[in-house]
Amino acid sequence: MSDPILSLQHVHKSFGEAHIIRDVNLDVIPGERHAVIGPNGAGKSTLFHLCSGQFAPSEGRIFLNGKNITGLKPAEVNRHGLARSFQITNIFPGVTVFENLRLAVMRKHNLQFVFWRSAAHLRQVNEEVDDLLTKLRLTDRAQTLASQLSYSEQRSLEIGMTLASDPQVILLDEPMAGMSHEETDYTADLIREITKGRTLLIVEHDMSVVFALAHRISVLVYGEIIATGTPDEIRGNARVKEAYLGEEAA
Amino acid sequence: MKFAPLFLLISVAVLIVLPWLVSGSMLNAAVQMLIAALFAMAFGLLCGQAGMLSFGHAAYFGIGAFAAVHAMNAFGGEGLLPTPLLPLVGGATGLVGGLLAGYFSTKRTGVYFAMITLALAELLHALAPHLKTVFGGEAGISSFRMPAWGIGFGGLNDVYFLTLVWTLVCIGLLYLFSKTPLGRLALGLRENAHRLRFLGYNTNALGTLIFAVSAMFAGVAGALQSINIEAANYVVLESHISTAVVLNSYIGGVRVFLGPAIGGAVMTFFGHVTSDLTRVWLLYQGIIFVLVMMFLPRGLMGELVERARNPSAEGVAQTLGTLLMRLASLAIAAFGAVFTIEFLQRLLSPEYRADITEGNWPDITLFSYDWAPLSIAPWAIGLGLFGLGIALATLINRRVAARKEAQA
Amino acid sequence: MPFFTEVSVDQILFALLNGTIYGLLLFMVSAGLTLIFGMMGVLNFAHASFYMLGAYFAYTLEPLTGFWMAIILAPILVAGIGILVERFILRHVHEHGHAHELLVTFGLAVVIAEIIKMVYGKFAVDYRVPVELNFAAFSLSGIDYPFYRLLMGGIAIVMFVAIYALLTKTRVGIVVRSAIYRPQMVEALGHNVPVVFMGVFGIGAALAGLAGAVAGAFYTTNPNMALELGVMVFVVVVVGGLGSMGGAMAASLLIGITNSLAVGSDFRIADLMAFVGMGGWADDIGGLLTMRMSSLAATLPFFIMLLVLVLRPSGLMGEKE
Repeated sequence: MSDPILSLQHVHKSFGEAHIIRDVNLDVIPGERHAVIGPNGAGKSTLFHLCSGQFAPSEGRIFLNGKNITGLKPAEVNRHGLARSFQITNIFPGVTVFENLRLAVMRKHNLQFVFWRSAAHLRQVNEEVDDLLTKLRLTDRAQTLASQLSYSEQRSLEIGMTLASDPQVILLDEPMAGMSHEETDYTADLIREITKGRTLLIVEHDMSVVFALAHRISVLVYGEIIATGTPDEIRGNARVKEAYLGEEAA
Repeated sequence: MKFAPLFLLISVAVLIVLPWLVSGSMLNAAVQMLIAALFAMAFGLLCGQAGMLSFGHAAYFGIGAFAAVHAMNAFGGEGLLPTPLLPLVGGATGLVGGLLAGYFSTKRTGVYFAMITLALAELLHALAPHLKTVFGGEAGISSFRMPAWGIGFGGLNDVYFLTLVWTLVCIGLLYLFSKTPLGRLALGLRENAHRLRFLGYNTNALGTLIFAVSAMFAGVAGALQSINIEAANYVVLESHISTAVVLNSYIGGVRVFLGPAIGGAVMTFFGHVTSDLTRVWLLYQGIIFVLVMMFLPRGLMGELVERARNPSAEGVAQTLGTLLMRLASLAIAAFGAVFTIEFLQRLLSPEYRADITEGNWPDITLFSYDWAPLSIAPWAIGLGLFGLGIALATLINRRVAARKEAQA
Repeated sequence: MPFFTEVSVDQILFALLNGTIYGLLLFMVSAGLTLIFGMMGVLNFAHASFYMLGAYFAYTLEPLTGFWMAIILAPILVAGIGILVERFILRHVHEHGHAHELLVTFGLAVVIAEIIKMVYGKFAVDYRVPVELNFAAFSLSGIDYPFYRLLMGGIAIVMFVAIYALLTKTRVGIVVRSAIYRPQMVEALGHNVPVVFMGVFGIGAALAGLAGAVAGAFYTTNPNMALELGVMVFVVVVVGGLGSMGGAMAASLLIGITNSLAVGSDFRIADLMAFVGMGGWADDIGGLLTMRMSSLAATLPFFIMLLVLVLRPSGLMGEKE
């Protein structure tokens, strides 16, 4: 196994008395699609917050591409090549879809302090945005205000903005939340497409999606990872069955 | 809004020929309207586009004003800063002040940001009287406009055109700025600063820069005022200047690009026109603001744009009819309210109180009639008309709502 | 080097006492603001206006009802106005978001100030400590300490104890605190949340009104007092952290005490620079460096605020945003 692209080593996180993340060790292989599953309240969102820099771990370290990113702020973590999406859609509602993506893309080109050129004339940026729009199938919604999109369109936009900074590692937090069967299938295809050549860490509750998409799965229960392995290994794991999947086979 | 460029062209044309259309006193008011419009546009960048509500913008207006006055005295209209270029120094000092203040203010967001901006302005206002070399103490600092570039700058027309050119240029620059990456990021700050951080942006730096740009244009407006009145006094740092720009901008509508400018111009115009007629103009300004916030939350321009974008299902004639009836009923209510307020103001004024003798309350003159305060007449008219207007407006609203329901 | 005009323990004691009492008054007003902000998420810009109204109402009532009734009735009247404001104005803009509510309260502050100017005039009114309360509580080294100051401090302390007990020990208090965190849940449990909101708003206003009624007699009562105090309250809230009553108390006392100590001091920044041999240079520069601390006293809270912003942006005890 090559060096992990994202590595959590002995990571703990407590909020006062509540010990949410307990000694998590997780190595994500470059290029893999790695799912994190677990019951509600297991700490999956907190794990994402730790990786993306919203919280600093109480103990332990996090490495991205060999660099120690423990305790870095979200903006810095992003600049090191990790981007995350949000479970509750976190877009720019009052501007167009095009603008949403453009704001996300501009950062990569280091344009944030440019006040002497029109944004409309940034050819490469605009091309990348058009490209994203095509991938997200939002091209004909480009000039619509983001607040007026349907729920699943907004979820697509959410994913698109995560992708826009061209990250090496993408964290998707329950991207299928609230979607119909059709929308879920479509989004799964989208995820497969956009994560080519990148590493994906995904939290999802929809087991069919997880088992279809993921190369490997980690199971988080009460802040601890009780198992990591391929979908088959996880399906067969007794501890996992007992803690999470219950009687039904996935 | 296909007609927008045409409207703009006509407006600019009117502004250019204005000196030949209006009296001297109106032209003077026009200069103040332009300055207020520019100040409001500067505020609008920070507040409407970047979503950062500043309650202390007078500080940067004032800094620009004093910088200009000092420059006028130092350069005497020539050298590095001839008279027409004086606003540059207002902009430069506004920019520096904005960078400094922005650095502190943007460490917090939302209401905290607003409180900090207010505190910083009050700090400057408290320090100013003590720094006499800079702010000139109670009397302030005065100067003279000197000729430059073959123009005298002695008369009102010259001042008007100088102000007009700078205002139009600055508003144009603000428009172009809104199209640049930094300008677009301002919108990002307003819409979702949190997400911007996760996209890799340093939101503190962005906020500080936009604050500085806003302060820069506020400084230009301040400089224009100094040039106009040939003086600067530390009262320009007072809170009511900061208050006025907030009220004006929101009355115009901060989410529409030219909204703040319209608000600033309209309110300044009203202030000019009514300042001889009433002593409580500021009260009216406050009441108008509260009413606009309650019933026209997007501001005048904002509501206009919204209705233009989403016209109601009714035909033009009916919409116009409803509008006219609404305006009529509101006019009645407004007349009644103004009558009552003006009557009260005169009744409670120190001069009147001095006139009251044992049991004898003299008549008060209002709208060329004499009214006895102890009789029912003035109160019936004032409160009665107000009540009538409100009742009519409510009736109209109910009928419109019923019509909409019937159509749905 | 003159740090104080005359270094006397008694004077420092007086300054500390004055500062503490002023701090308690500040806290009385900022506590109400914190309560309302915590509950409704709206910074009530007109809160200091309630303070001003309390003073003016007490001034108006005093000749009619005597001092004690005046300072009981005035806060009640202010509470009434607060309730009306919440019910008819704030509730109307609630749907447009917090920024709008803030702006409406801002406009209200303007309107209230202008109405006061219209009714009572632009200058300070003669609202004074009543004769029977205008005596010295004690005296140290020949200087009398006014009883009324102690009374103000006492009223403030009684008020906290009452509010603290109300919020933590009574059922009403528990409902209020829950409504702050989970209004929908509290409503689902059968409590009338809008009434709770109105009530808390009224009580917050009453606190500010009481502070004004009591303090207005001692300090000046003029149409500008809302702005002056309001800015101080905002500084307290930024320094102390809006989520925290403890922080507001700490910040209020800090600002009150530093203000009092500074007012009696002739210290200048140039004197500090003389320590490192730059005294002469500082004297030449003049301006801020040669201003006496007594003149700068009014601006000290702002500098404290700037310092806190750099070192600990979320405030002394505030929660991170």
